[in-house]
Formats: sequence, structure tokens, C-alpha cells
Amino acid sequence: MADSFCPDCKRPTEVVFDHSAGDTVCSECGLVLEAHSIDETSEWRTFANESGDNDPVRVGGPSNPLLADGGLSTVISKPNGSSGDLLNSSLGRWQNRGANPDRSLIQAFKTIATMSDRLGLVATIKDRANEIYKKVEDQKPLRGRNQDAILAACLYIACRQEDKPRTVKEICSVANGATKKEIGRAKEYIVKQLEVEMGQSMEMGTIHAGDFLRRFCSHLGMSHQAVKAAQEAVQKSEELDIRRSPISIAAAVIYIITQLSDDKKLLKDISLATGVAEGTIRNSYKDLHPHASKLVPSWYAKVEDLKNLCSP
Amino acid sequence: MADTDQVMEPSIDNPFISSPALHPRPTLQNVVSTVNFGCTLDLKAIVRHARNTEYNPKRFAAAMMRIREPKTTALIFSSGKIVCTGAKTEKQSLTAARKYARIIQKLGFDITFNDFKIQNIVASCDVGCPLSLVRMSTFHGEFLVYEPELFPGLIYRMKKPKVAILVFPSGKIVIAGAQKTDEIFEAFKNIYPVLMSFRKTK
Repeated sequence: MADSFCPDCKRPTEVVFDHSAGDTVCSECGLVLEAHSIDETSEWRTFANESGDNDPVRVGGPSNPLLADGGLSTVISKPNGSSGDLLNSSLGRWQNRGANPDRSLIQAFKTIATMSDRLGLVATIKDRANEIYKKVEDQKPLRGRNQDAILAACLYIACRQEDKPRTVKEICSVANGATKKEIGRAKEYIVKQLEVEMGQSMEMGTIHAGDFLRRFCSHLGMSHQAVKAAQEAVQKSEELDIRRSPISIAAAVIYIITQLSDDKKLLKDISLATGVAEGTIRNSYKDLHPHASKLVPSWYAKVEDLKNLCSP
Repeated sequence: MADTDQVMEPSIDNPFISSPALHPRPTLQNVVSTVNFGCTLDLKAIVRHARNTEYNPKRFAAAMMRIREPKTTALIFSSGKIVCTGAKTEKQSLTAARKYARIIQKLGFDITFNDFKIQNIVASCDVGCPLSLVRMSTFHGEFLVYEPELFPGLIYRMKKPKVAILVFPSGKIVIAGAQKTDEIFEAFKNIYPVLMSFRKTK
């Protein structure tokens, strides 16, 4: 139902769109205003479990501005049954000439997509990582490095830029074959490149223990009270003179909070959820223990409970 | 007291900040220099005749020679260029380089002492109190790199003089990349008030 000017009635009238014939008809006098309108919605619905040879969809995916030609793709396919060697025919060979300038880009984007899927990242982070990779791709000093490390570093930077940082160890776990050191070096290099290209608009704040706390707590299945207590404790810990990585501090705080509650988590579980080694959590606990009374909020645990906290 | 070092927060009454004489002084740890002896050297012959030399061509293309006074190590390349490391002051580095030249000369090579240049001076210092690197990184973002996951220290690249300063949460710092001793002290003079304004107060 819309309002349009009808030439016969000489005034704006209510207009009906008839989908079956593709006509726009005036409801007062019946005059057809527009015929044969083109339907731009999807032709077929695609389901995940259906595929195979009989896929009637004639369009490709959404256009990707990062690729050279917008991701247009038409391929010569193998004909059904009959002669299977038609791919060796001239047309088939022509298709696979391999001069596609985007091939490495597409491959890289696919890898980034796989990694971000495993981490459960939103599409914004994945797209940002793709953009970053496009900016730094194919530069000479990068060629020597591990390709996986570069992609992992792009993902790491994208997470940081969106204020949802992931620890390097987490990125390591989904990147195949890239060590923490390699990712770190690739990250430094990419950041330098981006600053040169974009003129110092790189806004990547330092990581804080609090950024990761929420995620670690939900991996461990802590109660809501415990999560809140842990967040408060971590805020207070930033004032203290503790010379440890923020991740280790987060892990130690989680240990303290869970020891004080009924639902005690094993060092092993915390180590698995945070990626911090058990020995490191123990050492960080040694550093934090003297300040436990300052860290743990008073509504969560009483002073006597703190005394029960085992001394490391 | 002449307040030549204007601090950011006027409420700091710490005498250490306002009077430069009471500042801690950086101590030089290492001076690296290079010299060109001007003739090709036969490293195998040097290793054969000199007492304190190692040469493992499969591992590294230079011979390593050490002398006791000043306590230094030299990398001697077959092109005739040497790198002298381990000296504690610029003067010591020069003395050491001349001593190496003497040794090589005594072995029968025709040495000239060309292009002596100090390439790098490293110094360390302690500002005396723990520092909050997190707070520092939020303020001076342009020159800083602080990645606690990757390295516990904050890396501050000063433009003038062109040095890199590693700042650690304990309050100890390392200044490296200077070409003259004055640059070290100038860099420290510049960085000290900044560091003190980011103290961790207990």
C-alpha cells in the first residue's frame, strides 16, 4: 500500500502492488501505473544440510569491497556425468590460469574467518582484521615471516582496536603453528606499518586485567556474586605495587575469590581457563596474599574467612 | 634552589625532583665501537698466534678476541673491520681498540687506525621508587610501547636525543642507543620528572 500520483484520477491515490504479476495498480480507477517490476529478493532459500549437485542458486555471496573486483566470480564447472575430462579442455584450463590477483587475499581471509570462528568473535572484528591484513599484505619484510603469525597478529590487533582484547595465548591456540614470540613480533611490525600509513591514528590502549576477567570467569562457571567480587578486586589491585602481567594477576584474583566461596576451583582449572601456568598463578598468589584484605570487597567475605585463606 | 627542571605537578615537594644535584646518576654499562684497520686480515693466522682468540667459521664469520684491561671483547672480521664491546666508558673503548690494533700489528699486519666511531652506549639507573607503567602508557602514547604480555618493561623512544629508554615497574631503567655520554645524561634529565610523576604511591 503506497500513495502515488495517478494520471487518470489526477490526484495522489492509494496504490496496490500486485506481486504475482508485478503490477502497481491504482485502487480507485484500476489503472496500471507500472508493470513488470523486477523482484530483487532472494530467488531460492538455502539450507545448511542441503547441498550437492542440485544447487539452483544463481548468485554469489555479498560483494566484498576489500577484494579487487568486488568478489565477482564465475567459474567453468564440470558438466554432469558425461565426459569428466572437460576440465582439461581449453575453457577449463583458461579458468584455472591462476592469474587471479586476489587468490592469496581470499585464502588469507578464509584463514582469518576460521580463526575468528574458533574464538567466537563477531563479524566486526573479523572484518577489521581483514582490513588490517589488506593494508599490510605483500610487503617485503613480511614475506619472510610465518604467514600464520601475520594473520594471527592482524586478528589480535583487530580485537584490541574493538576494545575486546584477547590474550596472545588465546590467539595462539587457534593459530596453527605460530608461537607467541612470532605473533608478538608480527604485531609490532604491523602496528608500525599502520602508523606510517594512517598517520598515528592507532588507538590501542594497554590491556588491563579487568578486560579479560569476565571471559575467564564465565569459562570457569563462577557465580554472579563471585564475578562482581573479582572485578572489584582487580580494580583495587591496580593501585598496588605488583609487578606481574595483568593476565597472571587476573588468574590469581580468580583463585583468591574462588577459594573464599563455596565453589572452589582447582589451580588446574584456572590454569586451563586463563592460559597462565600453575606455577605462575601460585607465585602471583604469593604476591597478592598480603594484600588480600584490601582487595576482596567486604560484602563478599569477612575478615576471618580471609585468615582461612591458605598461606602460599 | 634553582628550579631548572620544571615538574608537572607543582605540589611535589620532593627535593629529589626539584634539585638536579640530588637526582640519581645513570651508570654506563657498555660502550660499543667500531674501527677499520684498513687491510684484510687472515683470521686463521690470528687465532693460531694470539692467546685469547676464538674462531669458529661455521658458526660466525669473525674471530673473537678478549683482553683483560680494559675488560673487552672484539669481533675481528677478515675485511679488517672490528667491533669492540664491553668497555665502560668512551675513553676505555678507545684504549681497548688501540690495544687490539697493537696486538694485530704485532702479528705482522699493516694496521692503520681509521674511522673509530662509538656506535652505542648503554646505561642503567634506578629512580628509587616503583612506577605505574599503566598510567604512563595512557598519557604519553606517541613515544611509548607497553605490552605487559610480551615484555614487562615499557619502551620509550625519545626523539631528542635519539635513545630508547626501558622503564621497569621496579623503578629501574635502562637507557640505550646513545652515541655520546652526554646524550645519556640529557635523556635522563628529560625523563626523570616524567617518571617521578608516575610513581606508585602506597
